[in-house]
Amino acid sequence: MRVTVDGRTRCRRAVDLRDAGVTPEMVLGAVRRDGPPESTAAVTVSCPAPGPVHDHVGHVGEGCGVDLRAALAAAARSRGAVAPQDERLAAVRADLAALDDTTPVSQSERAAARQAVASASDREAALAERVATLRGRLQALRERGEDTTAVERERSEALSTYATVKSERVAAEQRLARCREDARRHRAVGRERLRLEDAAANLARDARATLAERIEPTVERALQRLPGPSDADLRATNERDPVALALAVGRVARLRAPVVLAADRFPSPTAAARYLDAPVVEV
Amino acid sequence: MLLVVTYSRAARQTLRNVVRTYEETTVERLGRAALLAETELGALLALRLREKHDEDVLVERTGAFNEFADVPETVRTAATAYEARETPSLPYDAFAADRGHPTTDDLRERPL
Repeated sequence: MRVTVDGRTRCRRAVDLRDAGVTPEMVLGAVRRDGPPESTAAVTVSCPAPGPVHDHVGHVGEGCGVDLRAALAAAARSRGAVAPQDERLAAVRADLAALDDTTPVSQSERAAARQAVASASDREAALAERVATLRGRLQALRERGEDTTAVERERSEALSTYATVKSERVAAEQRLARCREDARRHRAVGRERLRLEDAAANLARDARATLAERIEPTVERALQRLPGPSDADLRATNERDPVALALAVGRVARLRAPVVLAADRFPSPTAAARYLDAPVVEV
Repeated sequence: MLLVVTYSRAARQTLRNVVRTYEETTVERLGRAALLAETELGALLALRLREKHDEDVLVERTGAFNEFADVPETVRTAATAYEARETPSLPYDAFAADRGHPTTDDLRERPL
């Protein structure tokens, strides 16, 4: 690990930055690669990228309580542990990814389609009435032997418009039917997605519980190796002495990136690194 | 009542928040669905959900079910007779074929 502060680079496993005027957050930002760019950062750290367990126990200090079950599970996974639920969980996630994700027709489009059908139907009905009226007038004119040319022309125009509006109405109805079918399909996919998402969440939770339970005895042993009195109950320790808990989990986990240590627990950063079997930057 | 059914996690969560906040307007909480009172407030809540989650929310209006007005006598009789049958393990279609009641095939496509 290489740590650079104020133009000075240290290259070792345990680095003491307690008087270097940097905060734990600065070092964490450098380690986790989510701080300011190297050119403007107060401290830069060259190290392997942190794994998931580092999110839980990478920063050890007062007030840094951990989500115990999640941290234990992450520590177990960092050691290559596999949960019995993993295969099933992967299958469920694959099914989720395979779900058809096309955006459905929106409600407003469907409303517009409904309006189009209603309006076309109204116009069609009005035109049908007009055609019938003109037919009646034509009939009356013929009976009286009068000239029907003008009315015949009107009627043929009305018939032609009627045919156009009728096909518009049919097209509008087909569009509405497609919208409704599309909405039905979307709801079916949504129902299935919800079912799979819930299944995945439950499996992931069960996997964490299984992994956490299996690794508890190892963490309890690690707690006992920590200087100072220890409580076998991990939950109680997390409440009373979260630093001890984080350190014990850190020792059990396979940590690649350095731990940012902001607590007075060891006589030196080197002692901490030896306990944790991981690089340490003490701040 | 107004039936509201959700089809996404986000819509489901909004519905949960709504029924928690508007207890008196919520007739039934059914997980990702709920029955709301048929009031303007119920309608407001349903419409707000639809505005927010669009096609991930379905709103239907339910009506009181009067089997004497809505259901043919043959169906009512079949239901009563079947629940009063002597052989508990007898499936409905076997019972119907035996006693001359409409079978599920007969009834499936007939709208009420």
